[in-house]
Amino acid sequence: MAGETLLEPAAPALRLRREQFIFTGKAGEYFGIWIVNVLLTIVTLGIYSAWAKVRRQRYFYGNTMLAGASFEYHARPAQILIGRIIVLAMLAAYNLTAYFLPIVSGIIGVAFLFAIPWFVMRGLRFRARVTSYRNVRFDFAGGYGGAFLAYLLGGLLTWGSLGLLAPIASQWMWRYTLGNLRYGDRPIECDPRLEKLYGQFVMPAAVFLGGLVFIVVLGVATFVIASGAGFDFANRLPSDFAVVGIIAAVYAALAPFFVLYVLVGLLYAAGTRNVALNETVIDGRHVLASKVGRWRFAWIAISNFFATVLTLGLLRPWAAVRMARYLASATALYSAGPLDEYLSTVKDTTGVVGAEYMDIEGFDFGF
Amino acid sequence: MASERGAVQLVAGIWYPPLSSRGNGARLAIDCGGVVSAEQADGRMLAEATLASVEVSPRVGSIPRRVSFPDGSVFETDDNDGVDALLRQHGRRAGLLHELERFHPRLIVFAAVVLALAAAIYRYFVPALVELAIAVTPPVVPRLLSQSAMISLDQTILSESTLDPGTEREIGEGFSALAALAPRGTAGYRLHFRDGGVIGPNAFALPDGTVVMTDQLVRMAGEDREAILAVLAHEIGHVEREHSLRQLYRAAGIGGLVLLIGGDLGGGAEDVLVQGAALASLSYSRGQETEADRFSVELMHEAGRDPAALARFFQKLRDELHDDSRSDFLSTHPSTPERIEETLRYAEEIAADGR
Repeated sequence: MAGETLLEPAAPALRLRREQFIFTGKAGEYFGIWIVNVLLTIVTLGIYSAWAKVRRQRYFYGNTMLAGASFEYHARPAQILIGRIIVLAMLAAYNLTAYFLPIVSGIIGVAFLFAIPWFVMRGLRFRARVTSYRNVRFDFAGGYGGAFLAYLLGGLLTWGSLGLLAPIASQWMWRYTLGNLRYGDRPIECDPRLEKLYGQFVMPAAVFLGGLVFIVVLGVATFVIASGAGFDFANRLPSDFAVVGIIAAVYAALAPFFVLYVLVGLLYAAGTRNVALNETVIDGRHVLASKVGRWRFAWIAISNFFATVLTLGLLRPWAAVRMARYLASATALYSAGPLDEYLSTVKDTTGVVGAEYMDIEGFDFGF
Repeated sequence: MASERGAVQLVAGIWYPPLSSRGNGARLAIDCGGVVSAEQADGRMLAEATLASVEVSPRVGSIPRRVSFPDGSVFETDDNDGVDALLRQHGRRAGLLHELERFHPRLIVFAAVVLALAAAIYRYFVPALVELAIAVTPPVVPRLLSQSAMISLDQTILSESTLDPGTEREIGEGFSALAALAPRGTAGYRLHFRDGGVIGPNAFALPDGTVVMTDQLVRMAGEDREAILAVLAHEIGHVEREHSLRQLYRAAGIGGLVLLIGGDLGGGAEDVLVQGAALASLSYSRGQETEADRFSVELMHEAGRDPAALARFFQKLRDELHDDSRSDFLSTHPSTPERIEETLRYAEEIAADGR
C-alpha cells in the first residue's frame, strides 16, 4: 500500500496523506486480452467489439489503484452494442436522406453540429456513471451549455486565433469535463487558472516557433544548394496527371510541420493536465496532484506510436500499459480525511440507471 | 488462498455495504446448499444470498473480482483463483474467455491467425466494402467534394490560365467529342485550364467530372493536339471508374476497421490515422493508373483518333523531364517507360482488332 507517509501538522484538519496512483497492469497479461479481443472481433464481424471494449476498460480501470483500492468499469456490453447500432442506423438514415433529399440533409448536417455537445454530454455522463471507486459511483452533472462552450466554441476559438487563445479553450474544457464530475453525491471542483494555463503555453509555443524557423531554414537551404547544383525542382515533381502529383508534393512539404504540430500538441496537453489536476479538489478536501514530465510524455506517446506501427499493431498492448503506468506514477491524491465515508446516490444503482442512460457510448470514438 | 473450513472454502476480501465506500475485512463462503455469504472474521454475517441471485464479475486478468449481492452490497477480492475454486465446487465453470486470454504459447497462434485474417480483410473485405459504399453514395457527395477541392486548389496552387482563347476552344471541342462517347456524356464533364504554378505540366480529374489541365502541359505537348486529348481521355477514365471516390472510401474504411478491431489507439495516433487516410485518398493506385491508360487508348480509338497518342505524350514527358526512372518515389504509379510500352502494345492490339 502506498499511502504511508503521514504529515503531522498541529491541527487535524490539515493532516494530509499522500496516496499514490499505481497502475498494476502488465504488458504480457494485457496482450492475451487484447489479441483475443481482436480475434473475436474479426470472427464475429465486429459484434464482439462491444464485449472487447468492456474487457479492455475493466482491465485498465481495475488495475488503477489508489490507497489500496481499484477503480471499476461497470458498462454492459449490450449497452455499448446498442449504442453502436444506433449510431450506424443514424448514419444510414442520414445517407439515405442525402441520396433522395440533398437539401434536407444539409439542414440535418447543421442540426447535427448543434447536437454534438448533447452527445458529448451524454457520453461523459455515461462514462462517469459506469465508473466506481470503493463501491461508490461517479456522476456527471454538466449540461448542454458547458459542452457547447468547451467543444464547439473552444475549438473555434483555438483555430480562429491560430492557437493563441488555446488556454482559454483548455480552461473551458477542464472546467466542464472534470469540474462537473461527482464522486457519489460529493462535488469535484476544477478551476485551472488562466495564467497558469498560459504558463504551460509558453514552452510549447516557443518549440513551435523554433521548429518553424528550423524547418523553413533547412528547406530553403536545401533548395538553394540543390538549385545551385543544377537540380530543377519544378521538373522533378511527379507528373501523374492526377491530383496525386500536387498532393504528394504538398504533403511531403507539410510532413515536418505535421510532426511539429503533434509534438507541440503533446507537450501542451501534458502541461495543462498538470495544471488542471493540481487545481482539482474532491469534496472540498482531497486534492489531486499531477507532475507529468512534458518531454517524457511526448517521448512515450511518440515512441509508442512507432513501436505499434512498426510491429503491425502487436506492440499496442505494451504501449498502452506503458502509458497507463507512467500517467499513474505521475498522479497522486493528497487526502485530508478518510476515503471510506462516501455514499453513492440512489439513482446510480444499476437497476434504476440501466434503462435511463440509453447508451450513447458508441459515439465516443467520434470525438 | 482459499482455506478449508469443514466442507466450506473461504476467500478473504473486503465487503462494502450497499452504496457505501466503507469497506470491512470479510470472508466469502459458499455452503453445500449453494448459499453465498460474506461474513466478518468473528463470524458475523454481512450478506447472504443464493448462488443464482448473486452476480460474480467475469475474470479479466488479475483485477479484483466483485461478488454483488441482491441487497446492493459488494464483496471484493484479489483472490481470483479462490473465487474460481469456490465456483467450480458448485458446478460453475471458470471463465472460458479468461482461459483463452492467459499468457500461453497459444497466443502466438492467435497472433498469426489475426495477421492472416487482417491480410484477408485488406485484400478481399475492404474492396467489397468500397464497392458497396460507391453504390450507395448520394450524388451530392462527389459534387461537394469536388467543389471544395477546386476552391482550395484555386486559392493555393493554381492561377488563371494564360493560353490564348483559340487554343482553349480547340482543345475544348476535342474534349467534348471524347466526353460524348463516355458513359456519363458531355453533360457529365467540364474542362478548365489553369496555370499550374509549382505542379508544372499536369492534369487531374475531380470525382464530379471536373477536369483541369495546366497551361504548362498544353505548351509541353506543343502542336501535338492528339497527345493532349489522350491525356484528357485518361482523366475521363479516372472519372468514369470513380477512382478518387474509391480511394477515399478505401482509406476511410481501413481507418475505421483499425479503430473497430484494434480498440483504442492512444494519444496522437488518431490524428496520424486521419491525416494518413486523407493523404492516401488523394493518390491513385498503380492499377487505377493502368486502367485509366487503357481507357484512354479505347476512347481515342473510338473517337477515330490515334490510340497510341498517350504513349507519344509519355515519351515527350520522358524527354522533357528526364523521367526515365523505373519507378517513382511513391511506387504507386507505373514508371514512365513501362507505361509507354504497355500503351503502345494495347493500342496496337486495339487497332488490329479493327473495331
